Amino acid sequence: MQPFALNYARPAVELEAVIPYVYDAGLQLNVLLDGRVAACDFAVLREVGTTTSTAGSKTHFDD
Amino acid sequence: MTVLILTCEEDVTADMVVVHLNASGVPVVRVDPADLTGGVALSGEYVHGRFRGHLSAGGRLVSIGGLRSVWVRRPGAPAGRAVQPSAWLTEEAAQALYGMLRGSDARWMNHPDAARRARHKPWQLRLAQRCGLPVPATLITTFPRAAREFAERYPELVVKPVSGAHPQDPPRAVPTSRVAPDTDFSAVAYGPTLLQRRIGKRADIRLTVVGERMLAARKATAADADPDEVDVRFAAPGSPWEPTDVPSNIAPGVRAYLREAELAYGAFDFVEDADGTWWFLECNQSGQFGFVEVETGQPIARTIAEWLARPVPDEQARVNERNASIR
Repeated sequence: MQPFALNYARPAVELEAVIPYVYDAGLQLNVLLDGRVAACDFAVLREVGTTTSTAGSKTHFDD
Repeated sequence: MTVLILTCEEDVTADMVVVHLNASGVPVVRVDPADLTGGVALSGEYVHGRFRGHLSAGGRLVSIGGLRSVWVRRPGAPAGRAVQPSAWLTEEAAQALYGMLRGSDARWMNHPDAARRARHKPWQLRLAQRCGLPVPATLITTFPRAAREFAERYPELVVKPVSGAHPQDPPRAVPTSRVAPDTDFSAVAYGPTLLQRRIGKRADIRLTVVGERMLAARKATAADADPDEVDVRFAAPGSPWEPTDVPSNIAPGVRAYLREAELAYGAFDFVEDADGTWWFLECNQSGQFGFVEVETGQPIARTIAEWLARPVPDEQARVNERNASIR
């Protein structure tokens, strides 16, 4: 009784990387442990993969 | 005049835009509706024919009448983190927040009504057809026989979720997947199924459109790529995303699509076939863009910030001392 599309489902893969930044409500930005703004460090963004098109799929429709 | 960003704290992609707004001195208030009644508060008064509303978050207070734009990025469910959350409270909070915001003169990226409609993939496909964009042959059906007949006409098929959503109980992903011609389609009866002719692709295209500006990126398909890996989101990394031009026969259709959809932002997915034709797959009205900017260096975040920072019409009139309209 499983819908056809679910025959092609696979287990969801959680992000393996540890997120190296935390939200700073004063700045309204996520900051790295050394205080730098995470969004300005593309190497970090690339490594953690939080800006990729699958990142929002768990809770949002739009990739 | 302030830019209001509705998104969750961990949305580092939104940060990329906040950085540019800060650099240009545009006031920003960032709110996650999930924090309503906790860290976020609101109040609106309708008295003597006038409305005065305020939002506060993180020690910042903003007048709803003082908003120049609202960016709906990745907001949580309103009051989702309240001390005693409930579906009723979420609806109450949603009506209060979005109801007040709808009464403002702020520009939206994207307006909730347009966003809700734009999430419907069947509607997207029809709009793309009407706008002259090439759309692969597609069937959405609960009739197993219709699926079998479609597979006879188009032996190379893929299946994908109609909604684009992924099941959460338990958490699973449903990538776009190849369907073998001799597949048993009887399970089509148990849920609407979207089947689409598979386009033999030589590249994936991500076209991010902000207002009138188009920023296209192309990811070439490796010659030795696994033909069963059709969903670029789940495929091996392969080639990098690189900036590319939008074909002259595609750009007008994309503009028409966004105009008809009433969207200020859209992230289009196309595949490029061996002839160079771009085939429309979908338009994500709040699609991710950070990964494209990180790889290509295209100024998407800056372009979004510039769009959000534009004056509202009344402000334009004050600035120019006449009823000028700046687009």
